[in-house]
Amino acid sequence: MIAAMPDYQAAVDDFVTRLRRRQVEGSLITAKLTAELLRQVVSHQRLPNVGQAAVLIDVVKSVGLRMIAANPIAIAAANRSALRAPSLHNLLESIPDPVKTPEAPAASVGDSDSKSRSGDRNSVSWKLKHNVIEGITELLQDLDDYHTHVAEQALEHIHQNEVILTLGRSRSLLKFLLEAKKKRSFQVVVAEGAPRYQGHTLAKELAEKGLQTTVITDSAVFAMISRVNMVIIGAHAVMANGGVLAPVGMHMVALAARRHAVPFVVLAGVHKLCPQYPHKPYTLLNDMKSPAEVVEFGELSECFAAGTGDHTTYVVNPTFDYIPPDLVSIFITDTGGHNPSYVYRLIAEYYSPEDYFLQ
Amino acid sequence: MRYTSVSFAVCLPSSQTNSIFYDVEQLLGSLCISELVKNKMKADKAVEDVGESAKVAGGVTFEWLRQAEDASLLTTPARPTATDHGDSSFSVIEEFNYWRMQPDLAEAVAAIKALTAVIRRSQASTMMGLEIELKNASEALKAWDETSIPLSAGCDLFLRYVTRTTALEYEDIRAGKARLIERGERFGEISQKARRTIAMLGQDFILNGSTILTHGFSRVVLNLLKLAASNGKHFNVICTEGRPDNTGAKVAIELLAAGIPVTLILDSGVGYMMEKVDMLLVGAEGVVESGGIINYIGTFQSALVARSMNKPVYVAAESYKFARLYPLEQRDLGPSPCHVEFVEPVPEDAKVENTARDYTPPNYLTLLFTDLGVLTPSAVSDELIQLYL
Repeated sequence: MIAAMPDYQAAVDDFVTRLRRRQVEGSLITAKLTAELLRQVVSHQRLPNVGQAAVLIDVVKSVGLRMIAANPIAIAAANRSALRAPSLHNLLESIPDPVKTPEAPAASVGDSDSKSRSGDRNSVSWKLKHNVIEGITELLQDLDDYHTHVAEQALEHIHQNEVILTLGRSRSLLKFLLEAKKKRSFQVVVAEGAPRYQGHTLAKELAEKGLQTTVITDSAVFAMISRVNMVIIGAHAVMANGGVLAPVGMHMVALAARRHAVPFVVLAGVHKLCPQYPHKPYTLLNDMKSPAEVVEFGELSECFAAGTGDHTTYVVNPTFDYIPPDLVSIFITDTGGHNPSYVYRLIAEYYSPEDYFLQ
Repeated sequence: MRYTSVSFAVCLPSSQTNSIFYDVEQLLGSLCISELVKNKMKADKAVEDVGESAKVAGGVTFEWLRQAEDASLLTTPARPTATDHGDSSFSVIEEFNYWRMQPDLAEAVAAIKALTAVIRRSQASTMMGLEIELKNASEALKAWDETSIPLSAGCDLFLRYVTRTTALEYEDIRAGKARLIERGERFGEISQKARRTIAMLGQDFILNGSTILTHGFSRVVLNLLKLAASNGKHFNVICTEGRPDNTGAKVAIELLAAGIPVTLILDSGVGYMMEKVDMLLVGAEGVVESGGIINYIGTFQSALVARSMNKPVYVAAESYKFARLYPLEQRDLGPSPCHVEFVEPVPEDAKVENTARDYTPPNYLTLLFTDLGVLTPSAVSDELIQLYL
């Protein structure tokens, strides 16, 4: 048992380091790895005889905090670790916890109760862990499946001969479009999504499957938007007020869509919901990547004064964009389509209020 | 009167319930439950068990009752009790006015304390009788000041709680009464706690170097700003003059005492200043079902300007201000005239419209900071249902 502890500590450390180095990217991967890690942590954690759920919650919280400190934008990681807590809280309620009798005076009835409880205390502790691990496994299965559930709704939203606009690349979007392609014929306009140009990858994948695709530059979005029927994008995270964290450039697309009254559809699995409200979203919830992706290191060296190293030029490369909720028309999640103003309800379903602040 | 020890069915709402009723758990923890009730509890699986602790052999003893009453009386400051009980409606209003004078007490809390006093003086021998007395008292209070929304919200909330409590029958009317009294007394503490929670939640949204526009005098908002300042945030506040009550001056005094730079502007200067402002932060007299707020006159105007210039509008309000109202237009609020002093004498034939408050529809609000958490306007009706259910 003591040998098991460093086992999962090492795994946690490794994961945290990878998060910090941004070697783990993308909300789905992060969510999956976090869930698997937490499953490991829970199964290896030795639970005391009393206050088991509280100990479990503490352990999960501490691991979660480390992950968030490593990469605050991997909010998906925070989501998952926080998600475990509600199932733990529910289990806490259902199991009569002997700890909750602090100042019970010695009564005959009380004694017999505690005696019967100690009998099945071990089975209770085993049950608790088992339930939690089951919950996490279910969660992992959901994560694998969510693409399918989202894609099932494609036919309701995409109609014959429509033109769909998107920016960059999203796996759920790919599956969504391919599902709709089975019964409808439509076109897709893909904005390339500088500086990573993932739009090119998406366009290739769509073209291979026989969808008519057009690639445009990001700056051409406003010019094309009036000829487009719908904008569909994938989200990185959905905040509690219905705001969306999406790859950089999306806010511009959302504004263009609002200007021309084009529906702006966001695909988001339920695991992307985050119970936090964005205070200062454009800077606090953003990840600045290396400027080399935008401008090669050598190209701007003339701009820096020789010798003194004064900086007259800054190159900023943010990863994410924040889209306020009033620009979004509908969220398509694995549980169906929802209004942005309904997001608080989804949060309430999946999180308990104690989880809103992990600190 | 025979009371059956019915299962201790404290049908508390789900764990997402508001903090007002959070204390009930602690309260329950300290109450003794008789053997009978406990056994009934085990037998009756349909009852939702809160999981509270104290189990004492034996019934509700005289000793415990006395202790409970002492405990409830301890928290009351010295208040001369009215000797004459017969004129109960009149004394309720007196009581209410007395509590309203306390500087830090919100109106809703004052109403609840007044109703608690009614319970204390009540001679009713059944819970139903007590309920009826309370209902009459609450009607009297509402009739006395028809325009006050926090008052009616507070009365409704407390009555709701009483009705829910009387669903459980006690062996002794005095046990039930003592519990209700203690609840009412606790309410004052809860309102302080609510303000602290709101301040904690809201101060995240105040960023260093920001400019905040505020309108009207709200203790909750002042608490929030003071907490943010004490956490080392640097910001400045613009507050409107707030005619006719001159709330601006009061706000300025409080904020300057906390070291926050203040700029006073005319009410009509809101549009002019809005481009420099980062957010509008107001309190609320009442929060209505649609998620909109009722607040000091001029709030709607400021929210309108803020919205049109894309500035966020934040509201700080405690959950006991949630009221069962759904105004469709401004006139639906009911008249609440206030005295306006015009510098130039008003000609006799000119009419004067001197309402004291207005309604801000929910689509002009960004977020509400309440002790139930940060809410979007659409989430308010959900919380309202949970409060009143």
